[in-house]
Amino acid sequence: MTIAYLIHIGIIIGIHSILAMSLQLAFGFTGLINLGHIALFAIGAYSSALITLNGIPFSVAILLSAVISGLFGMLLGFFTQRIQSDYLALATLAFSYLIHAFLLNTTSLTNGPLGLAGIPKPYIFGFSIDNNLSYLILTYAFAFFVYIVLKSLINSPFGNALQATRDNELAFQILGKNSFKIKIIAFMCSGFLAGLAGVLYAHFMTFIDPASFTIMQLIPIVCIVIMGGLGSLKGTILATTILVLISESLRFISFPVSVVGPLTQMIYALVLCIILIKKPKGFFGKVTLK
Amino acid sequence: MTPEIFVQLLLNAIVAGAVYALVAASFSIIYSTNKFIHMAHGSVIALNVYILYFLFSVLGINFPISVMLTCVGSMFIGFGINKFYNQFREKKASLVILLLASIALMIFLDALILLLFGGNLKSIGLIKAAKGISFLGAVITPMQIVIIISSFIVLLAFSIFIKKSSLGVTMRAVADNKELAEILGVSANQSYAFSFVIGCLIAAVSGIFYGLEYHLTPTIGVKLIFTGFAAVVVGGIGSIKGAILGAFVIALVENFGIWFLPSGYKDAIGFMVLFVFLVFRPQGIFGFKNKISL
Repeated sequence: MTIAYLIHIGIIIGIHSILAMSLQLAFGFTGLINLGHIALFAIGAYSSALITLNGIPFSVAILLSAVISGLFGMLLGFFTQRIQSDYLALATLAFSYLIHAFLLNTTSLTNGPLGLAGIPKPYIFGFSIDNNLSYLILTYAFAFFVYIVLKSLINSPFGNALQATRDNELAFQILGKNSFKIKIIAFMCSGFLAGLAGVLYAHFMTFIDPASFTIMQLIPIVCIVIMGGLGSLKGTILATTILVLISESLRFISFPVSVVGPLTQMIYALVLCIILIKKPKGFFGKVTLK
Repeated sequence: MTPEIFVQLLLNAIVAGAVYALVAASFSIIYSTNKFIHMAHGSVIALNVYILYFLFSVLGINFPISVMLTCVGSMFIGFGINKFYNQFREKKASLVILLLASIALMIFLDALILLLFGGNLKSIGLIKAAKGISFLGAVITPMQIVIIISSFIVLLAFSIFIKKSSLGVTMRAVADNKELAEILGVSANQSYAFSFVIGCLIAAVSGIFYGLEYHLTPTIGVKLIFTGFAAVVVGGIGSIKGAILGAFVIALVENFGIWFLPSGYKDAIGFMVLFVFLVFRPQGIFGFKNKISL
């Protein structure tokens, strides 16, 4: 029983790490305050759920869904390329509400507020991932892959271009570089990885509804990114572990669900405020929020 | 669309616009003085609506006293919120940090409302069943007429206050050029505090009208802040007159939009308008550019 619960927490931490690392790519490394990230996560989850429910194998679904999320990320980046800082945050936040309204209202496709149930467990290369232990291995394989990809991306010339865009976009443009293109690519890659996290989430939960993808779910992710420190992957993973453990430990207090839900949100909000006041650079952050 | 339905939608839009105009005007005064996006404003309004609900419908205090208590309470809430932001201002926090802090405050207040009052629909129920008055084939309730007229009076008083009173003048001075105003001996911190107190007072009025006209759910804060901010962006940032006009534009789009879109999208129209304007026309319809005017 205890082991099963620990595995469950392990999977949650793995999925949230991937999601937070993907936001770190846009937010931490490129300086794009993307509050529409939860929508990209939702798009990944919903695409994969719909694709596999129609009988297409998981290995195809995961790739296709991540690509769809990436495309939406690209579109979001394309439309918001000229907006900056707090306005970008607000435009992307409006985007996440728009996607949420779309998921709620296109009942014929997404089953509206009732959500999609019975999402099949993954079946990949002849292996059936039907128990939580194998799912844990699958999640960590992906998390490790994302970590390695991001690590090498950041140290590549392209990664330098991302960080240059973040630190001084004007200077970057004066050098004759196209910062808009860089930002759109960052949005796309970030969306791709968020979609990946969404797929893992959907097949782990086997049930998704629009309420799983609101700003209430975004706040912990933003909290993680700032707590871990902008531009630090190690910090992101540490912060994910801490925050997931905080929210999971609340389950042991025997309050009714109607109290625990709002209470968790209030704690996230408080944690975010305290970090923003006391330590806006987070654990291992190198840059401050501009 | 028959003429009757057209008139009915127009009337609904005017009533909604009267409420949104107050939301937008109160948001606008806070935004232009403080220069950061106070996302928790909608949740403050929601909190006021619930305070009124608690005083009037739960405790049974008579209506005028409940309204007065709500307004006074809201001014204290505004004062408290300014204290909250002061923590960040002292650290020279950037606009993004203040925005994130305001989003955290929004989540906190919404969760608090959910915790205290639960998630189900509530209504204040001042008048149980008002008989509508027929007007050109459409129906308008006496309450709606009262809302439109009193909203107009409050907005008029508000704009006279901003334009003529010495407090209003210093607030506009800080909004226009903080450094210059401080050199001339205006306390920016004091103006920030007053903008929050007055903004929250107007917000309480808008909340009261909202509560009388519509149902209460803990999520109305999000809807109201997006509507208010969209109105400010549509009308041109920094102009209170623009914000009021923008509010009516949003109300019209919202009410005529559901004629073409499924009704579930009604609340999403504010987000849509906001997104479209931020992306394609951030200077607003009228194209005022960072002008602080009335």
